[in-house]
Amino acid sequence: MTQESVGVGPTQPLGEAPAPSPRRERKAALLVAPEGLIARHRGSGVMARTAVPAFRTTYGFISHNFPAIIMIGILASVLGVLAQGGPTLMGNQMRNALVLGAIYALIAIGYTMVYGIIELINFAHGDVFTLSGFYAFLIADHFGINKLAASSGFGLLVALVVIFAVSMLLAGITGVLIERVAYRRLRDAPRLAPLITAIGVSFLIEGFMLAFFGPDNVTTHQASWINGNAFTLGAVAVRWTDLFVLGMALVLMFALGAFVTRTRLGKAMRSTAQDRQAALICGININRTIATTFFIGSALAAAGAIIYSINYGSLKWNLGFHVGIIAFTAAVLGGIGNIVGAGIGGFLIGMIYVFGGSLAGGAWSESLIFAILVLILTFRPVGLFGVDVASRS
Amino acid sequence: MTALLELDSVTKQFGGLLAVSSVSFSIGEREIISMIGPNGAGKTTAFNCVTGLFPLTRGDIRLDGHSLGGLPPHRILRLGIARTFQNIRLFSYMTAVDNVMVGAHWWMKARVWDGALTTPRSRREEHAVEQRALELLDLLGLANYAGNYARELPYGLQRRLEIARALATRPRLLLLDEPAAGLNPQEKNELMALIARLRGEGLTVFLIEHDMRVVMGISDRIVVLDHGEKIAEGSPAEVRENPRVVEAYLGSGASQEMRSA
Amino acid sequence: MHRTAAFLSLASIAALGAVSACGTSTSGGSSSSGGGGLSGCHGTITVATDLPLTGGDSTDGPFPQLGAQLAVTQANSNHVLGGCTLNYVSKDDSSVAKNGHDPAQGAANITSLAADQSVVGVVGPFNSSVAEAEIPVASQNHLALISPSNTNPCLTTNQAVPASTCGITTSSLYPGPHTYFRVIGTDLTQGEILAYIAAKQLNMTKAYVFDDQEAYGAGLATIFKQHFASDGGTVVGSASLPGSTTDFSTQIANAQSSGAQVIFFGGTSGNGCGLVRRDEGKAGLTLPFLGGDGCQDQKFITDSNSGSNTSEAEGAEATSAPDATKLSSAQAFYSAYSTAYSSKSAPYNDGKNEPYTPFGYDAMNILIQAIKSVLLSNGGQPPSSTMTFRDDVVQALHSTNYSGAVGQTSFDSNGDTTNPFFTLYKVSSGNWTGVNAYQVDSSGNVSVKS
Repeated sequence: MTQESVGVGPTQPLGEAPAPSPRRERKAALLVAPEGLIARHRGSGVMARTAVPAFRTTYGFISHNFPAIIMIGILASVLGVLAQGGPTLMGNQMRNALVLGAIYALIAIGYTMVYGIIELINFAHGDVFTLSGFYAFLIADHFGINKLAASSGFGLLVALVVIFAVSMLLAGITGVLIERVAYRRLRDAPRLAPLITAIGVSFLIEGFMLAFFGPDNVTTHQASWINGNAFTLGAVAVRWTDLFVLGMALVLMFALGAFVTRTRLGKAMRSTAQDRQAALICGININRTIATTFFIGSALAAAGAIIYSINYGSLKWNLGFHVGIIAFTAAVLGGIGNIVGAGIGGFLIGMIYVFGGSLAGGAWSESLIFAILVLILTFRPVGLFGVDVASRS
Repeated sequence: MTALLELDSVTKQFGGLLAVSSVSFSIGEREIISMIGPNGAGKTTAFNCVTGLFPLTRGDIRLDGHSLGGLPPHRILRLGIARTFQNIRLFSYMTAVDNVMVGAHWWMKARVWDGALTTPRSRREEHAVEQRALELLDLLGLANYAGNYARELPYGLQRRLEIARALATRPRLLLLDEPAAGLNPQEKNELMALIARLRGEGLTVFLIEHDMRVVMGISDRIVVLDHGEKIAEGSPAEVRENPRVVEAYLGSGASQEMRSA
Repeated sequence: MHRTAAFLSLASIAALGAVSACGTSTSGGSSSSGGGGLSGCHGTITVATDLPLTGGDSTDGPFPQLGAQLAVTQANSNHVLGGCTLNYVSKDDSSVAKNGHDPAQGAANITSLAADQSVVGVVGPFNSSVAEAEIPVASQNHLALISPSNTNPCLTTNQAVPASTCGITTSSLYPGPHTYFRVIGTDLTQGEILAYIAAKQLNMTKAYVFDDQEAYGAGLATIFKQHFASDGGTVVGSASLPGSTTDFSTQIANAQSSGAQVIFFGGTSGNGCGLVRRDEGKAGLTLPFLGGDGCQDQKFITDSNSGSNTSEAEGAEATSAPDATKLSSAQAFYSAYSTAYSSKSAPYNDGKNEPYTPFGYDAMNILIQAIKSVLLSNGGQPPSSTMTFRDDVVQALHSTNYSGAVGQTSFDSNGDTTNPFFTLYKVSSGNWTGVNAYQVDSSGNVSVKS
């Protein structure tokens, strides 16, 4: 390293000054540059530059219109379901998609935050999700929370507050510990090293859960906390649980958005994500900021796990791998590093999973998700909400 | 004049390359001191050593007589040393005012839970800091761009924004790495006036600069580095006349420029 | 001649067995002389089991394994083989990667057993997908394989099912001799019975069919669909989902929309049988639920009841292995099992906790009897060549006529039991309770076995 090569400057705009924007408008809660996966890997769009013109045009077209193509695809499948089964089926599937999407969104945010701040695909995140679900299960079963939840409306409220607070705290501590033990020393190592460590941590947590909770689904006794239908739209029954899942996820996501945009720590996180060394030189305690990021990401995974438990009623030791990889796709779809994008990506993946699966047969649900992952990485690695790299190059 | 910052035989070695070799000098309170030298002389490395980005190979750096050895960068900043970068390093996707507020991060009192729960205390503090950040932007002529992403600003404004961010950290000593680079003559004059004003408010300024008009115009003292070694130190007049500086390092063209400045 | 001799000796052993400690099961004489003509036999003959013992199958596989082990222990203590002793090897075809039965692990186990020259026969495997991988290896090595529980018909014949829906070309499973047998009826019988129950007993005309993408589940679903259609019903929709699926709401909504009157699941509880029932409840559906033997376990009840309705499992029905616990022929076995394994932890201390326990026991006894008949017809000694020994055991197995814990077993030319029947179970007060046993006669008519 020579003395002059400490870092890379920000993009310097060409031409004249931008339109002044004196008011403090609220810009999107970006953790990193929306170039996302691409920003640090120049050479993307190589295909677009070097291929034959016809292909280049096609590539550019698909890349440029990728969000529209995805949206049209989703809309088409929604309409397809409507044509197949009428408004009742569409309504039922929409409810299913939103509930599933809410859970994916909460997990996706954890992936995106960690990637944003240390450029690590934290493969252990899905397992932190499962583990925190088991925390909630143990707490609820051993401290009479289940009885409390069943006792009265007020009891349920207290039970929810306790279970969310304690499990999120424990999950946060778990996340911080994982970062401290497994990732911190490798922060400046070649990227493959922490990635492999992350897979190792994932196996470790899964193995622990397998040994401790056994190979089968474990009934968490939380599905009966919230009962009954809230209302019926036509022939579509919406349960209180559905509303709770969706509402809780949205509240948490908006709270996180506000936290990251407005608070001191949120700014510390964003600055660390965008230029770690410059943040250091601005007096930010990098280690603490990264630990906080892991804390929040893991706490949200815990919230997702409790919501999962309340909706499905059971957990399994290897659930996190399965759910995690779908949530990761949601994070990439929304543009990895983009918190709002991850939230929206979660819901879109929920729609694709449910409506695609409803039309094409459930056997294709997952194939569809991973096909989309491949398409994003090929055509639009920045995700739906990133800048249009191909058209820029 | 009491020394604010002392460099004592500061040495930084990268493998076989001796980037900074046993450099010693001190900076007094409210002094403006410039460090000059050709590219690769070790100036930025010296800045990185002072701010804690590079651990020293040998030697010591003291602030108010207390050693900074081994302290991480954020701790050194909290003792009152702020800096800018030669190649501007702003937080591109944060607004100008948010960039400045990051500088205020360390002395804010709100804790994690205050932020998470948005307590009145944290809201009041956020508001106060935001006001302070807007004042700083105003001071640097950036008031109209508070809501723009840093990356949207033109080059000259980005340089100023970086200074505003450094000032928000409440420094006693401000390190500026080539603050005049890329500025037009008008902007350079404004920069000089700003530096003078900051000193007037009690700040000590330590800068790396190539522009001799700026260097000669505002510096109390100048330190000259070449190949990692300090080859001269003194007032602008002394440095200008120092034959070793002229001969060994500046070259005839540059010395002409120096004399004319 | 050879075969007749073997048959005669088997019959005489059966008669002796009637007075042995094991009641009606025929595990041999009560003294060394019971080995009639084998007192001069020398050596050790190895028999093995290959069953899934760990991971997701740890609540299934160990039972037939323990049953089979009991058969070996009894045979040795009763000197069934006279001077020769049986050595017993237990293999686990579970892998950590699959968290349960793993075809690759099973094939590796059979390869290693076949390489052991002392091994003449294996009881196993438990799962049809594992059998698909193991049968070719066993066939090549002329090694007898007797499954206590494989119900996929395509393992032995393509003729009764269209090959296109089979997924297996049966003939390619047997590069060598046909060495595979099973003591349980196939899904052909089971699917036919299930379709009969759905169409004729529950009187439903529209079914939505799930399967878990495995040979067993997909096969059972295919057979169910065929027979349900020929019984006058319509399959209004179907979904084939991997075992890792955790949410079936999408498909339940489709089932609801298509007007299904009965939900059928072809697959195992480990692959989501109970979760389908749970999600049925979540969607507020109260359709009858029908599954095969893969669903008929405690896991199904636990999973079904894990949702907001904690008694969702109630009323679900599944056919499974004949309820041997009520058979008089099995009582002696169950008590011998309880005595032998009283020190095991629950649920393994009671053979009644898994339906296939007596099938493992019978399969091993059938193997031992075949070995014995080979020894007898070979002058009281093991054949000197391993291959000859193994071939003779397979020949002897084809002539089996054995009265054991689960009834009278013999094999047809495909190695299938000639006595297939299944019991229908229903969840009642949190437990599977046997309802009726159903049998299929040779002309394909289903009837309640009285």
